[in-house]
Amino acid sequence: MKFIRQVMMLFAFFCGLCGLSTSQAVEEAGTTAKVANRDTVCTKCHDESEARPILSLYQTKHGVRADSRAPNCQSCHGESDKHLHGDPNVKGRASPDVIFGSKKGTYQPSEPQQQNAACYACHQKDAKRSHWEGSTHQNRNVSCTSCHDIHNGGHDKVRERQTQPDVCFTCHKEQRAQINKPSHHPISEGKMSCSDCHNPHGSVGPKLMKRDNVNDTCYTCHMEKRGPFVHNHQPVDDDCTNCHNPHGTVAENMLKMRAPFLCNSCHTTPHGPGQPALANGSSGAVSPMAGSAITQGRACANCHTQIHGSNNPSTAPANSQFFFR
Amino acid sequence: MRIPKQQIVFRKNVLALSVLLCFNAAAYAEDDVEALTKPESSIGLGAGVSSGSSQTRSIFDQYNGLRKNSTNLLLDASVIKLQEETGLWTRLEGRNLGLDNREASFSQNKQGDWKYAFEYNEINHQEIRTINTGLQGAGTTTPVVNRVALGKGADLNLQLQRKAASVSAEKWINSSLLFEASFKDEEKKGARMSGTGIYCSSITGLSRYTCSNNASLSGALFLLPEPVDNHIKQLEAKLNFTGDNFLLTGGYYGSMFNNSNRMMQAGITGGLYGTDGITLISNASVLSYLTSPVALAPDNQAHQYYVSGNYAFNTTTRTTFKYAHTHATQDQDYSSFGVAGNLGGVVDTTLAQLGLTARPVDKLNVVANVRYEDKNDKTPEVAYNRLSNGTTAYSSNYSNSATKLNGKLEGSYQLPDHFRGTLGIDYATVERAVPPSVASLAAQDLTLALGGLREKTRETSYRAELQRGLSETLNGSASLVHSRRSGDQWTLYNATGTLPQLMLDRTRDKARLAADWSPTSELSIQFNVEDGKDSFDTPQGGGMRDAKMNSFGVDAALIVSDNLKLTGYLNRSEQKLNVNNTNVYLTEIKNTNISVSVGAVGKVAGNIDVGGNVTYLEDNNRYTQSTLNGSSIVGAQLPEVTYRTTTLKLYGKYALQKTADIRVDLVHQNASLNEWTWGSNGTPFNYSDNTTVTVRPNQSMSFLGASYVYKFR
Repeated sequence: MKFIRQVMMLFAFFCGLCGLSTSQAVEEAGTTAKVANRDTVCTKCHDESEARPILSLYQTKHGVRADSRAPNCQSCHGESDKHLHGDPNVKGRASPDVIFGSKKGTYQPSEPQQQNAACYACHQKDAKRSHWEGSTHQNRNVSCTSCHDIHNGGHDKVRERQTQPDVCFTCHKEQRAQINKPSHHPISEGKMSCSDCHNPHGSVGPKLMKRDNVNDTCYTCHMEKRGPFVHNHQPVDDDCTNCHNPHGTVAENMLKMRAPFLCNSCHTTPHGPGQPALANGSSGAVSPMAGSAITQGRACANCHTQIHGSNNPSTAPANSQFFFR
Repeated sequence: MRIPKQQIVFRKNVLALSVLLCFNAAAYAEDDVEALTKPESSIGLGAGVSSGSSQTRSIFDQYNGLRKNSTNLLLDASVIKLQEETGLWTRLEGRNLGLDNREASFSQNKQGDWKYAFEYNEINHQEIRTINTGLQGAGTTTPVVNRVALGKGADLNLQLQRKAASVSAEKWINSSLLFEASFKDEEKKGARMSGTGIYCSSITGLSRYTCSNNASLSGALFLLPEPVDNHIKQLEAKLNFTGDNFLLTGGYYGSMFNNSNRMMQAGITGGLYGTDGITLISNASVLSYLTSPVALAPDNQAHQYYVSGNYAFNTTTRTTFKYAHTHATQDQDYSSFGVAGNLGGVVDTTLAQLGLTARPVDKLNVVANVRYEDKNDKTPEVAYNRLSNGTTAYSSNYSNSATKLNGKLEGSYQLPDHFRGTLGIDYATVERAVPPSVASLAAQDLTLALGGLREKTRETSYRAELQRGLSETLNGSASLVHSRRSGDQWTLYNATGTLPQLMLDRTRDKARLAADWSPTSELSIQFNVEDGKDSFDTPQGGGMRDAKMNSFGVDAALIVSDNLKLTGYLNRSEQKLNVNNTNVYLTEIKNTNISVSVGAVGKVAGNIDVGGNVTYLEDNNRYTQSTLNGSSIVGAQLPEVTYRTTTLKLYGKYALQKTADIRVDLVHQNASLNEWTWGSNGTPFNYSDNTTVTVRPNQSMSFLGASYVYKFR
């Protein structure tokens, strides 16, 4: 077998010297029989010598021929007759029918709708993509290959938890800074990724939340906050992001602002004439109702400790409705 | 095959082939092809060394599993096998196996037929702050407060560890029918910051306690770590049915929470001290209050049944839909509190969504979407916390029902000269269950803890966006958003001045400019500028007044050569909020965030890959307080809070041979966290038992890791 390939390589060399197109010359030389049997129309030119080899597709599910659903090159890139046989109106080799990507390379990329149609022809059977149509990404002309790298030998950055955020941050720059703040989910550490909470292929929830709403998504890991409780805190039940920024903050517990200011944005007159101050003397005595005890430590939560809700029905001592205990 | 004349191109790879020929080219070609077409497996083994102590690198180490030890085993594995004849994939993967955040998985997948997978994953969160306390039994349900002299307690570092195990499977029953099922059980153990506190005073209408032995003493505060020991279980099963022009999914999603700890009840030894940490409080009622049970999260469960999918009327008109019903309950018994019964909590939620996308004419795209969510809180309303003071009964158990309706209509039209215009309108309403007003309840004040509520709020947003392909290499867009939220009359309850921000009248304006420029195929630059403003209107002028934001960013990527690629970005954002405490002060909170990064990846020689980046982040928060009448506030302004990090990450990979690499990683981080949360200017914030919390404000650490990576196919 090796000998045959060597002969073929030699043939290729002489063909090259004779000025023949390598598209013929390396038809067999550059590809193994296995590969040649698959997508010979394309791989006889697009062989292992390419700077960015497309043959690495065969390391992925797209290249598994035992799966009758798996595509060949032309399933995605179109029949591309003009690319194969020439177009007298085009100088040089004409573009394949469908060019993926968002930036111009040798050829101009196809319209996102055309690119996505090629992918969607098969992937419409996946329930995770059932709400792609009409989703924010689809409306903004994001194409599948804006995020996915199909030919990279199974190393599609966006499908690996450790590298996925880098892909998302290409557009979502605000979150890139937030995940490096001291209070954050373990995204930069590679233990969580954007798709743990969001479904970028479309969802029923706001902000492409994976579950049907923000809270249901948060509850998948923080179910202790779900309740219902004897004493519910209305904004908690409404939307966790009323108080938290899940991408990261400097304030503890990913709070959007430090208490008491966060609490003051709803509770406009709590505790009478108390003013936020520090324990180093600016407000005089330390008092749970004013000064440092509503500002430092856990601030308002120093006393209102069960702020997500309390299931304490006790009759004495009272006042559990203020989330004291 | 006939080759047109213009396609007869002399390709470089022929030259390469001819050179390869001299070196047994076919053999190399075969290797190359195999390298490209067979999945690669690898096993990496090495060690990593971190500088400093756990306290000098607590910010860096909070999640990465490196905290406990300075030297750690680095062990990763990825074994991927594909049986080409049958399409059977077998994967065995492990990551961070030598660290406290290890994960492993095993799966088999006969492509297009069936699949199953087992996964195990640990996340270990180490609190970045250190507690100094005399507390005994910290992190248990029965901690005992034990006052010590300031700074003379033991150091305590809290951690929360999640261990999740999951199993999933799917089976194609036929080419149109797919069954999927998954089950995940996550255990969460450890402790997190919590506490109790009491304010001593007497306010008419409220139940308060008097620290009777000392008029100036105003209460007591304790930091009590909350014990965490719970399980979250999630089970999902669904059947997907696909046809030529539709997808229909029917499924069940169940989620169950089980907490091993019902309540936490502190004991106090050596006397109860006030918030000064010095003066004894003799009032038995105060002691009784602080040693009474604190409720921990109750068991709860939810079961959802749903159908969802899409349907294509034709090639240009599609619809998406979902209908779901969720039945959630919470019936944890009250026995831990010496009370019979349970809440009997039941919340039924119905969700319905319908979307439509269409291209009625060639240049026009239309998107419409309606989403309806009705949460029906069927929990019985009972008068809890009834006081026996003869005048008043209390209960804050009231219906939390809410109905949300969201609608969207958007049209996008291709205009002449490469312009594309988009107009959109969004509509959202929220209807809430509002308890009867205080006046109607007369002496039976059942709503003491309630503030202002609005039965209905509605918000309408208008969006306009113009995009233009300015040239083959430059695209730009400009967008404007204007929205207005208003609502019904406020219903005001006893806790006057509590006006939830999410119900306030609000006017929002946002503008955004973005450009994407690729002057050459090697260089691409993105610009974006954003500006926004919120104005709030409250019945009493309190709470949120207004908010402003702006941001600017530029990102660039440059391919210098096949062996060198550069990236960089600069972002700056500013947010300003005015929060009004109508009794005393107005605070302007200003947050400024700057992040800058430059990075490079490249090939130094044929067998050495290198890369790295340096990132600077600065986040500054100012809290400027003023009085409503313009006079000076009492005391000094709060200091700024600033967080800065400079992080350098470098890696190098040396290919020893085709099947083995040496990889070296170096990380160096300088971090500073200048905050007043737990102390300021050398004065700690101390709890009544002199518990204090600290974090090393300036941290500098380095990590060096080296691994031998063996690769095979």
